[in-house]
Amino acid sequence: MSQPPSGSPFARTEVRADGHAVVTIGGVWNLDDPLPSVVIRGDRVRVVSEGLGDFDSSLPAWLHAHGKNIREFDLSALPPRLQSLVRMAEKAAYQETGDEKPGLLEQFGTWGVESGSSWARAFEHIGHTSLGFARMLIGRAKVNWADFSLQLQTAGVDALPIVALLGFLTGLIMAYVGLIQLRQVGATVYVANLVSLAMTREMGALMTGVIACGRTSTAFASQLGSMNVSQETDALRALGIQPVEYLALPRILAVTLMVPLLAVFATFVGVFGGMVVACAGDLSIEQYLTQAVRAISFKSFLVGVIKSVAFGFIAAWAGCYRGSVAKRSALGVGEAATSAAVLGITLIVVADALFAVIFNLFNL
Amino acid sequence: MSDPTDIVSCADLAIGHGRKVIMDRLSFALPAGRILAIVGPSGCGKSTLMRALGGLDAPLGGSARLLGVDLATADEPARQEILRRSGFLFQGAALFSSLTLRENIEMPMREFLRCPAKEIRQLAEYKLALVGLADAMDKLPSEISGGMAKRAGIARAMALDPRVIFLDEPSAGLDPMSSGRLDELILRLREAFGTTVVLVSHEIPSILRTADFCIYLDPETGTMGAYGPPKSFLQAGQPPKVHAFFTQARID
Ligand SMILES: Nc1ncnc2c1ncn2[C@@H]1O[C@H](COP(=O)(O)OP(=O)(O)O)[C@@H](O)[C@H]1O
Ligand SMILES: [Mg+2]
Repeated sequence: MSQPPSGSPFARTEVRADGHAVVTIGGVWNLDDPLPSVVIRGDRVRVVSEGLGDFDSSLPAWLHAHGKNIREFDLSALPPRLQSLVRMAEKAAYQETGDEKPGLLEQFGTWGVESGSSWARAFEHIGHTSLGFARMLIGRAKVNWADFSLQLQTAGVDALPIVALLGFLTGLIMAYVGLIQLRQVGATVYVANLVSLAMTREMGALMTGVIACGRTSTAFASQLGSMNVSQETDALRALGIQPVEYLALPRILAVTLMVPLLAVFATFVGVFGGMVVACAGDLSIEQYLTQAVRAISFKSFLVGVIKSVAFGFIAAWAGCYRGSVAKRSALGVGEAATSAAVLGITLIVVADALFAVIFNLFNL
Repeated sequence: MSDPTDIVSCADLAIGHGRKVIMDRLSFALPAGRILAIVGPSGCGKSTLMRALGGLDAPLGGSARLLGVDLATADEPARQEILRRSGFLFQGAALFSSLTLRENIEMPMREFLRCPAKEIRQLAEYKLALVGLADAMDKLPSEISGGMAKRAGIARAMALDPRVIFLDEPSAGLDPMSSGRLDELILRLREAFGTTVVLVSHEIPSILRTADFCIYLDPETGTMGAYGPPKSFLQAGQPPKVHAFFTQARID
């Protein structure tokens, strides 16, 4: 009848004639294995063991959970070390002296020392990110997917109003400036081509990228920076979780996905903005729309999308990178946010210039 | 002197920040199931030593081994395996500020254990109850006191039943009676699971009660002033500084 001490964990209950319930536990209890589920009735319960093998904290946790609402939970027949592990959880009540938080100075005093080779670190961070991405593809990375969906919302959907406003105004300004010139040569109808082509190839992606730097890079830099300050990233590392994978990857993925969508949206709104100006006197709506549709080729559309993917990545990465190397102080977090926006915008404009050269070479 | 069964060991270890060495020539070994206390004046490098021993910072010289593995040279999977088997309480607790206490404890379990949500919940509640936080489980770290955060940090460090646990000033912010209860918890864990413990503490009575070994870091010489059972530090014949630190119980 006795169980070999290597079996899987079991528990069974029986109710005695005198109203006592007896719970018999045994087997090997392991955090990773499924635990038995029983319903314990009665308010006087005695727990006995039978063929109880090795156990880790899953057994005291199980007993703690099952004994919580039972008035008399008698563990005296169990091995003493198990009893004491369960009792410790019942009795533990701690009093505190005054709040002794470690002083800010003590914590952050001289933590600002950091080497100047920031480019090396930037490339290292890109390397870690790509490695993390590869590990994610083969299912080895621990990624916080809750962050991913949250960022789809905050970095993507929540940006719609500002993207709409700025896209609209950009189209409007371009049409306005364009008309001044085109009126002189009597070619006002081409204002539609100008606005739609510029929005598709250039301004849609650029404006959205810059907005992402302002909204998202700074947010990421301060989020990750303050997690650095409170040693939350250290705590992740202590668990064997890579902060880059857990925190940066979901953010970068979400933004790289959302910025192209926002850019397409900005493009349409911009073309509409141009229409408002152009059709206020110079063109009819049909004229404008026909010209605009004719001007946008699939190629230009593709160019815009490729750019916006790159810009989205840059914006998100700049924020994550700056946050992860932020100095461990309130000041450091502020600096991280500022420098993330500056780095992001600079890289986006540089990348845009590179794209111009490359697309020119490939005749796109 | 390095025995493969030692849980924590270091040989000629140098620690510091950036390139600045603050302690060097550190060599000692801690066998399984033992409790080591690190003492020394504030700012002497106790937390830094813990981070190096726990494999969070690479040593500036010499080597440190955790569970028999040199984490500075180990490959990533081996490193993660070792880190998974060790728990760390940071001096500032370092709870995830956007998660409740319960979620803080459940996070490592969700990432590393394959058991269902209900069991994870039970485990987390048990571990929080062990440190007396059964009533504060749904609070955010910003809503609790420093001592409570410390205790939640201990519960999180214990989440995966680590073989070795590093506790940086676990009893800071607790009154003497509660800190006695914490001592008891540490001793019980060792007794029940053979957990090896490395802790930083300023409380001499508590060290005498719990620790098997004690290491005194001397900021003036920049290395360890003494290593041995804490009771031996009380006896004459120890370096005078160590003796004074222990008998006067100077708390900084
Ligand atoms: N991240 C850091 N960068 C640079 N110096 C640091 C850092 N953390 C701590 N220090 C310095 O290292 C020394 C040891 O710090 P620490 O290990 O926290 O001391 P203890 O824990 O013994 O009080 C102190 O002088 C402290 O100012
Ligand atoms: Mg310290």
